[in-house]
Amino acid sequence: MSPINSTESGQGYWRSLQELARDPAFLAELGPEFAEAADSPPEGTSRRRFLQVMAASVGLAGLTGCRWPKENIYPYANRPDGRMPGVPVKYATCLDLGGSARGLLATSYDGRPIKVDGNDLHPINRGANDVLAEASVLDLYDPDRTRGPIRVEKGEPYYDSWDHFNTTAHGIFAAMRSKSGAGVAILSEASSSPTFARLKAKLLAACPQIKWFEYEPVSNDNERVGTAMVHSRATRPHYSLSEAKIVVGLDGDLFETHPAALLHARDLITARNPDSGTMNRLYAIESGFTLAGALADHRFPVPASQVLEVVCRLIVEAVNLGLQSQYLSPEVISGVRKMAEAKVSVETVPDKAIAAIAKDLMGSKGASAVTVGFRQPPLVHALVHTLNAALDNVGRTVRYTPDPDPARPTHLESIRALNAALTEGQVETLVILGGNPVYNAPADLDFGEALKKAKTSLHLNTHFDETSRLCSWHVPRAHYLETWGDGRAYDGTLCVQQPLIHPLYEGKSALEFLSLMTDDIPQSGYDMVRETVKPLLPGADFEVAWRNLLSNGIQEGTQEANAPFTHRNDLLVQALNASVPAPKLDSGSLEVVFRPHSSILDGRFANNGWLQELPDFITKVSWDNPALFAVSTAAELDIRDGDMLRLKVGDQSLEVPAYVLPGQPKNSIGLSLGFGRSAAGRVGNGVGFDTYRLRASSRMDFTTGVQIEKTGKTCILAGTQDHFAMDEVGAKEREGRTRALVREANLEEYKQHPDFAKHRVHLHPLASLWQPPAEYGDNKWGMTMDLHKCIGCNACVVACQSENNIPVVGKEQVHRQREMHWIRIDRYFKGSPENPQVAHQPVACVHCENAPCEQVCPVGATVHDHDGLNVMVYNRCIGTRYCSNNCPYKVRRFNFFHYHTRHETVEKMVFNPEVTVRSRGVMEKCTFCIQRVAKAKIEAKNERRPIRDGEVQTACQVACPTGAIVFGDLNDKDSRVVQQQNDPRAYLLLEELNVRPRTAHLARVRNPHPDLAEAHSGESDGHAHEHDSHS
Amino acid sequence: MVTRMSTTVIREIDNTSNDPRQRPVLITQGADFGPITDSVSAVAEAARPPKIWYVAMGISLCLTGILGASVGYLIWMGTGIWGLQVPVAWGYAIVNFVFWVGIGHAGTLISAILFLFRQKWRTSINRFAEAMTIFAVICAGMFPGIHVGRVWFEYWMFPIPNYLNLWPQFRSPLLWDVFAVSTYMTVSLLFWYVGMVPDLATFRDRSKTRLRQVMYGIFALGWRGSSRQWHRYEVAYLILAALATPLVLSVHSIVSFDFAVSILPGWHTTIFPPYFVAGAIFSGFAMVMTLAIPARAMFNLKHIITLRHLENMNKIMLVTGMMVGYAYSIEFFIAWYSGNPAEAFAFINRAFGPYAWAYWTMVSCNVLSPQVFWFKWCRTSIPVMFVISILINIGMWFERFVIVASSLSRDFLPSSWGYYIPTRWDVLTFAGSFGLFMTLFLLFCRYLPMVAMAEVKSVLPQAGRHPGHGQYWGEITPEENGEDRP
Repeated sequence: MSPINSTESGQGYWRSLQELARDPAFLAELGPEFAEAADSPPEGTSRRRFLQVMAASVGLAGLTGCRWPKENIYPYANRPDGRMPGVPVKYATCLDLGGSARGLLATSYDGRPIKVDGNDLHPINRGANDVLAEASVLDLYDPDRTRGPIRVEKGEPYYDSWDHFNTTAHGIFAAMRSKSGAGVAILSEASSSPTFARLKAKLLAACPQIKWFEYEPVSNDNERVGTAMVHSRATRPHYSLSEAKIVVGLDGDLFETHPAALLHARDLITARNPDSGTMNRLYAIESGFTLAGALADHRFPVPASQVLEVVCRLIVEAVNLGLQSQYLSPEVISGVRKMAEAKVSVETVPDKAIAAIAKDLMGSKGASAVTVGFRQPPLVHALVHTLNAALDNVGRTVRYTPDPDPARPTHLESIRALNAALTEGQVETLVILGGNPVYNAPADLDFGEALKKAKTSLHLNTHFDETSRLCSWHVPRAHYLETWGDGRAYDGTLCVQQPLIHPLYEGKSALEFLSLMTDDIPQSGYDMVRETVKPLLPGADFEVAWRNLLSNGIQEGTQEANAPFTHRNDLLVQALNASVPAPKLDSGSLEVVFRPHSSILDGRFANNGWLQELPDFITKVSWDNPALFAVSTAAELDIRDGDMLRLKVGDQSLEVPAYVLPGQPKNSIGLSLGFGRSAAGRVGNGVGFDTYRLRASSRMDFTTGVQIEKTGKTCILAGTQDHFAMDEVGAKEREGRTRALVREANLEEYKQHPDFAKHRVHLHPLASLWQPPAEYGDNKWGMTMDLHKCIGCNACVVACQSENNIPVVGKEQVHRQREMHWIRIDRYFKGSPENPQVAHQPVACVHCENAPCEQVCPVGATVHDHDGLNVMVYNRCIGTRYCSNNCPYKVRRFNFFHYHTRHETVEKMVFNPEVTVRSRGVMEKCTFCIQRVAKAKIEAKNERRPIRDGEVQTACQVACPTGAIVFGDLNDKDSRVVQQQNDPRAYLLLEELNVRPRTAHLARVRNPHPDLAEAHSGESDGHAHEHDSHS
Repeated sequence: MVTRMSTTVIREIDNTSNDPRQRPVLITQGADFGPITDSVSAVAEAARPPKIWYVAMGISLCLTGILGASVGYLIWMGTGIWGLQVPVAWGYAIVNFVFWVGIGHAGTLISAILFLFRQKWRTSINRFAEAMTIFAVICAGMFPGIHVGRVWFEYWMFPIPNYLNLWPQFRSPLLWDVFAVSTYMTVSLLFWYVGMVPDLATFRDRSKTRLRQVMYGIFALGWRGSSRQWHRYEVAYLILAALATPLVLSVHSIVSFDFAVSILPGWHTTIFPPYFVAGAIFSGFAMVMTLAIPARAMFNLKHIITLRHLENMNKIMLVTGMMVGYAYSIEFFIAWYSGNPAEAFAFINRAFGPYAWAYWTMVSCNVLSPQVFWFKWCRTSIPVMFVISILINIGMWFERFVIVASSLSRDFLPSSWGYYIPTRWDVLTFAGSFGLFMTLFLLFCRYLPMVAMAEVKSVLPQAGRHPGHGQYWGEITPEENGEDRP
């Protein structure tokens, strides 16, 4: 492995022989500097100063262990087998996040990982990727990661040596083992790792008195409790949405932060093929926009507290339509009827809609799926699974596997118990393995105060965060690309986590830390993982199986079998009888709904610039988490975007800016978690607002009875779209244009007029001043973007950012409309602001044949290359920005400043060496991943063959979970991209300008229920029916 | 001689009568050849310029310093210090460029076109109008220079032979700009200088210090005033006037191509070339007026730059203002008549969208305010015309701002719409360009003949008074001579 850590910690180079020899006089000279730097407390001093101090300390901390580098170095004169300098290598690995492992392929370029893609063998990823895993590679090179153990004494941090830490830890853990763990508590994150489970069991066996707690601020506990209510045990539901004709999503994010989001998206889109004759229909009933809601054929914004009632109404309607099932016992039905009677939700989900959904569900028994989000209380989960069972969906579209750890208490119970134990002084030593409870524990617990009661507390994490500051030791945690590990995918498939690089800062993984606790001589991660997977791998020869596992990243056939369970009703009936109808909401008593943020999640990614800058899929706001208000609520309370409000509920209050979002349920406020960090690092500190302050243990998901008051202050929100409040003239025009830009039809119209998209705009004859461009000899690259498949998940945006070294510009620059993303996802609303339809449209450079940018550049810095790509010659660009002005798609991005100057050395390691890092004053834009084209060309040429279709895949295409982006050679008549461009749904964006884009968009088809169709009228306006000639 | 400026007060004489029986003279108060030389030279020969000159120069130098600092900071940091963004990737810099180039046009029009049309009244104002042209083009040329992202590679805009055989891209209107503006600068400079040679010789001959003798001597190019020299001079001047005349039309046409050649709604209109030329002359005359009114007062030249001159210019402003107004309305008509929805929206948005404030500022300044010049009282009132000229300058700046910002801010895809807000650096750079302009102009007034003495003399009644050669042009009344009637 690369010995890069030596240079980073100051061990590899020395400034003088005295230093090398640790001459006491020399060290004495260094002494005052060390002391002065280390004496500066982090509080009361600037963050910059603190980091300087930290950096200085780490440089000097290295001196204590001054030695020759231990690693062997070899000259590259004799190249090791299988290693080609400059040729990237991909390794399979996995990222265990919140208790399920994402399967990844990490690209290593001369020893440093630069890009993370989905593993195509992984059952959830299948080659696609989500934004979190895609951006996780940036975390590896986060300069704010701690670079050595930190000892906190009297609230002040001191960088300490690993030796000292190891000695201390050894003492603590030896004492712990001798007392069989009395007075020791461990708080861990959710983990799917079998090795972690094995080590945990081993530790608990050795020290039975250890109290083990597990906490995740965003957890699937409601689902576990809900399934346990109706099944004989906690189970984990799996949906096969590709088999479902009717999908009802209840307040859940099927596609966003759900562990199987990519699978759901892929399956749902597969079953949504408008040409199949069995296009599915998606209903979303939700308390805030989710990706599924934006995709849905019918969406109903409902306050979260009323979802229970909606489910009950749905069940009642289904029963009225003749649904009979052993699972719907009379007691259940009567309980449900009682709940359905309140009819608070009629305003948002009219009876007609319930009737239509119930009719659809009854008409597709065994081929429908009702899903529910983690946010909803267990009772809703229980009812939904009962409904699925009653609809014969179980075993067809829904199956259940056993919960991996059915015995564990819920995360909420767990953190409360730990808090109580700490407060009562029962915990002498607390070990926190990852997580950040001081930041994200329920606000009423005051976990920070409780934590101080532990005599010794050790926190393993990547950053010196809010929790570390209150612990006595902070231990640097290694990134997943640095250490060995394993995990299980959502369906239980075994995944292996391979390191691609030696830990940059000598950090430890949770596994290594556990080994430190259990074993006298800590084991290496490699050995531990091998030991765990040995019994799990098939075949007689372990080494072969192991190598296969490493090569594939997963082990086929290790997924969980379906859970054996019996359906029961007693607990459900009890819960139904105990539940009370949802309160009526009004502007004086609002509802607040907490949701993990689509890119920051629960706050753990707060220091990741790519994710912070990623615009939210629906608000398009980056670098912030405003409170979302319905248009009507905002009008009633006279709230405008950016108004600072004080939300009050119970003892907690929170100041947060408002954002008025069409489609937000009336009187319900959406709050994203994960922002307002105070110790995330230079990127995440002070970004957004800490909504955990409002989240108490009695209201982890949503709550009603929230009051707001205006503070009179305002806050700037930086968005990548609708940068300012739209005036009437603009709003009207935008609405008028949307129809031509994002072309849509209902399924009925599509069946009659498959080429409806071509008739949405009537073109005048297109003539050009210029000679038509030459046809291109070998290849003619082109792309299609299928709006029918795009769910707007942003994975392509981050993938592009990672592949193409796109800078992060920060909130102020985004507010000035200078974001640099090469691909963006335009979001348009249509229809009533209370319940609009949403359309997503990915737009990147469309590589016009008749490119308007090229005609106006005075220096010829943007030209067509011999494949007909519209390329930017950075070297030649002088930055007149004329090309951007003349680009009708506004996809060109300008380096207004030198956005890459502020990087530390370690940050530069994330760059893709095959892509130029652009300097100040030059224009840039999507290149169709020309570096990948070039690579494929070289390979094809070496093998004396043409480039095969699908051989070149752009970064956005690879990441896309639904295959909405297709790239290929337009000269190859059999290629997929040509088939797609010949699809009747294909149309060219702004075709009337005659710029002849190479990227075609494919129109979207909606499948509304006929009874509800007028509510969401399609595009039929007679245009498609006139068969006059259109050019 | 030196004391003359402070002692003799030149009064304002109304010589604007158009009574055909009694045509008034152009140069009032009995100015003869000698006094004209005296009063024009007095400015340069005075030991000290008037106090107001120092005040003006002080302010101008401050602004120039601000310009230097702003440009320095810009080059150090990048164009991000301005309010530029995507979609509005051009802002103040291009607005100011077009504004300053437009201003230059009046000078060339006065000196070349009016020369060819034998408009004798041009002689009093052509010299400093031309000077204004040069300085305005200097300011204009600066902006495209500093607005690019990589200033240090600016020379790539020029067709410089190089071993890579890399040439500029000749289809780009920006490149045409480079040629148009540099040609314009060259011709204007030559024209100005050639016209100034006899007057420089006069200065040289009157110089009392060695330094002045040498300096003016060098620039007078050995002018002796011989008939042969005068003959050559007049031929050269005529040729340069003929060369400069098409430039009046071509330069701003080409500047307008920056917009008209693009595909942006609101820019892509065929009316732009004539519309821009009319606007340029309009704004140029307004600027001549803004400069002439204080200058003639400051340097005691009211008898040379008379009310009649000012009134003539006001008439031109009225005409060109209405041409501009016509262009504004035709743009709207065509936007509707063309049936192009993007175009139609661009104009509705211009008048009623977020930039409506700028649009209506422009219309009121450019179209409404010159209408007062229908009234002779307004045409001959110094305060009114001064205010109107400043309003027109403001309006014409806003015209360019509206064209650049409102069109760019809302183009084809509503998702990328934006709103351009200039930063303090935009404003300071713009203000600084006025400092540079005024500094150069004040230096010119102080050290160079700000009125073409030789030419003015040629339109004096005395120039045509040759016994036996019929009537001379105009009759000098005692009032006009500044004398009381006996």
